Amino acid sequence: MTQPADLSTDAFISALGKIFPGERLLCGREKLAPFECDALPVYCEEPLAVALAHSEQDVVAAVRLCHEFGVPLVSRGAGTGLSAGAKPVAQGLLLVTAPMNRILALDPQAMTARVQPGVINQQISTAAAPHGLYYAPDPSSQIACSIGGNVAENAGGVHCLKYGVTVHNVLAVRVVSVAGDSVGEVLTLGGSCLSQPGYDLLALVHGSEGGLGVITEVTVKLTPAPEQTRTLMADFADVRAAADAVSAIVRAGVIPAALEMMDKLAISATEAFCHAGYNLDAAAILLIDLDGHPLEVEAELTVVEQVLASSGAIQVQRAMDDVQRARWWKGRKSAFPAIGRLSPDYYCIDGTVPRHRIGEVLEATERFAEKYRLRVANVFHAGDGNLHPIIMFDGREADALARTEKLAADILEYCIAVGGTITGEHGVGIEKINQMAVQFTDAELEQFRAIKRALDPHALLNPDKQIPTLARCQEYRALRQTGE
Amino acid sequence: MSDILQLHPDQDCAEVLAAQVEALFRASEHDHGRGRHLTVGGNGTRSAFGLPADATLALGRHCGLVAYQPEELTLRARAGTPLATLEAILAEHNQSFAAEVPQPAPHSTLGGAIACGWDGPARAFGMSLRDAVLGCRFINGRGEIVNFGGQVMKNVAGYDLARLQVGALGTLGALLDITLRLQPRAERIATVSFAVNAEQLASWWQRTRALRPLLTATCYLDGRLYLRLSGREAAVDALCQDLGGEGGELNWAALANMQLPFFCAERLACVHLPRFARLPLAAGESLVEWEGARVWVRDGDHHALARDAAAQGGFVQVLRGPAITPQMDAPDWHRALRTALDPLGLFNPGVYRTQFCADNRSREEVR
Repeated sequence: MTQPADLSTDAFISALGKIFPGERLLCGREKLAPFECDALPVYCEEPLAVALAHSEQDVVAAVRLCHEFGVPLVSRGAGTGLSAGAKPVAQGLLLVTAPMNRILALDPQAMTARVQPGVINQQISTAAAPHGLYYAPDPSSQIACSIGGNVAENAGGVHCLKYGVTVHNVLAVRVVSVAGDSVGEVLTLGGSCLSQPGYDLLALVHGSEGGLGVITEVTVKLTPAPEQTRTLMADFADVRAAADAVSAIVRAGVIPAALEMMDKLAISATEAFCHAGYNLDAAAILLIDLDGHPLEVEAELTVVEQVLASSGAIQVQRAMDDVQRARWWKGRKSAFPAIGRLSPDYYCIDGTVPRHRIGEVLEATERFAEKYRLRVANVFHAGDGNLHPIIMFDGREADALARTEKLAADILEYCIAVGGTITGEHGVGIEKINQMAVQFTDAELEQFRAIKRALDPHALLNPDKQIPTLARCQEYRALRQTGE
Repeated sequence: MSDILQLHPDQDCAEVLAAQVEALFRASEHDHGRGRHLTVGGNGTRSAFGLPADATLALGRHCGLVAYQPEELTLRARAGTPLATLEAILAEHNQSFAAEVPQPAPHSTLGGAIACGWDGPARAFGMSLRDAVLGCRFINGRGEIVNFGGQVMKNVAGYDLARLQVGALGTLGALLDITLRLQPRAERIATVSFAVNAEQLASWWQRTRALRPLLTATCYLDGRLYLRLSGREAAVDALCQDLGGEGGELNWAALANMQLPFFCAERLACVHLPRFARLPLAAGESLVEWEGARVWVRDGDHHALARDAAAQGGFVQVLRGPAITPQMDAPDWHRALRTALDPLGLFNPGVYRTQFCADNRSREEVR
């Protein structure tokens, strides 16, 4: 399979040019530069080449060629990922499926849409809207991120508590295999029934970060738009009280469509950015959506308001109309750019913890941040226990990135210690690969490697990400012990 | 907690069970496990679903609740715990599993439910059992205890080897502990029914779409369509009034557990169809669930059913009577995953051969 390096590189590029003619194959520093990272630009790498796939046949041909030449292949869509999962591999091919952006079929009766992987998340809901339907998972990047990447990362979003993450909303995928005898074959995983014979390969592909196959088509489940949605905003003088109110709401038997929290720094950043109407004196606010049958919404509004009042909220407001609702949510959704204005660089992490530990983790985060002389803003999916501490730093300072990475590691390892996980929806990629050695035992990591070897025996697809090597684990654990 | 349902006292047998697997793995390494195997099972109530009735690796005694905090909406329990025991605990806190789980017998276990991966009537309107699984700990084919997924709502660290266990019938590991997502119990559950003939069903499924999210089950049996509505009292009562129809009770739990008289038949098949597919025409009495996406057929011609279902993109699972070989996509992946998790093929080899090792259906060459 493997050929001598230089000769084979020329032959590979030349063969690639036949599959991807003209401007669909990008080589040379200038053209490659825009593709050297995803939305976590602290990790960059220049690939050998970038190929723009327009069809499933393009993907199949690229996979077969990479297999033949033993060239690693990283596939990506819009490149909005936050864990460097789509960072190219040096001397590898970066296969971009963003041009595969057609909605192939939308069946309002069956409530499904069959789409190519480059279709933008939000576009599915836009196309489904005339039928009173939408695609439920809504990552903050939904206006830019593509559905193929959503499957690869098992993306979440604001409304996951009630409507589930990507794996709960996908019925089938087509995926190009690199396993055993099926190299370059297109497999259909899942189907149009609500159950399938065989192993749940569809679930396995979700969150596999492009490491087990290349996705060429996704059939998603569409959800009827709720008859009514009402929004509550609660202000708290104390972060811990806000965090505890989250558990109290769930305990009261209500599952809100969204339950988001912002702390003081996030509130002031977004208020300055887009005047959402937040209380600048609050230490934390909760933003809560309740949706469904109007009578059901009314009943739950009453329950939630009572819980908030008895949890120490200093003010609880109901959005008067859709304009106010939209304004409150615009603030939440602009949190990232808003924080970006306050700091030259920022770094968002993704630990998820049991709901009743949120307050404790936020307090620990504050302590860790002081230790590393950094500021952290918190704006996150409180209902899911999915924290998004945003570390603000200035990359021009010599040791700022190093301090940021150490702070991130401390926060993630604290999340593990309280029974949580290092990533709820952003994926491991390169960013959290060291913490995998903390969350999992050697036997578990070896089990992951066995799965990877089973379906990608030549380590062609997105190699050296998500699952750390044994050597890397040992090195990182040794470093932790010496307190480095 | 209901002690009657406790066949075994609460105990953690993980180490003992893992040692049993490890010993067999060590003894078999030199000859690739030739002839050696373990039948993995629980209390033996799910043989109709494909699980062995007699287990040599008996998970029924690995039993008990591990963790439950109502405000987390998650529960972690040992595989051998009877589902009924867990449901009784949840009911005290006004909660239930996030998916409706069939229980063929009072001592049917949580592990058996996961291994079979069957869903109840609510599936078409909410989460499947697979959707509700957040994490699990199991023994792999080397006798190692491994833990994947988590106890939190969202977790994408590493491959999803927890959901992979759902429906694997113990061929990818021996389940130890499972973490499931929960939900609050509905304030009101009501049933309305209508006299409907089979030809009218398709147009009914157009109407029922608009009843979400309060609609949580549909069942068509003996010329009557039953709708189950669940939610806040005010909303459910108002919707019932709007819908009209007759009260008509249906024992939904008996339907979920396949204990309605309909299910007493020599031959019983379950037909899975895409939404809005045409009912299979093959002879036999039928019970239609999931807005037409799941049809139970008693005393039908299983081979004819399988042909009809396949023509419409569906498939048949047989519970009693002439077996149908499952047709699976991606046979390579099945084989490779089995080897990755159970390298010597020690767990339930007979089940693996009949359920997961079939000829391929739609391996497709592009170009």
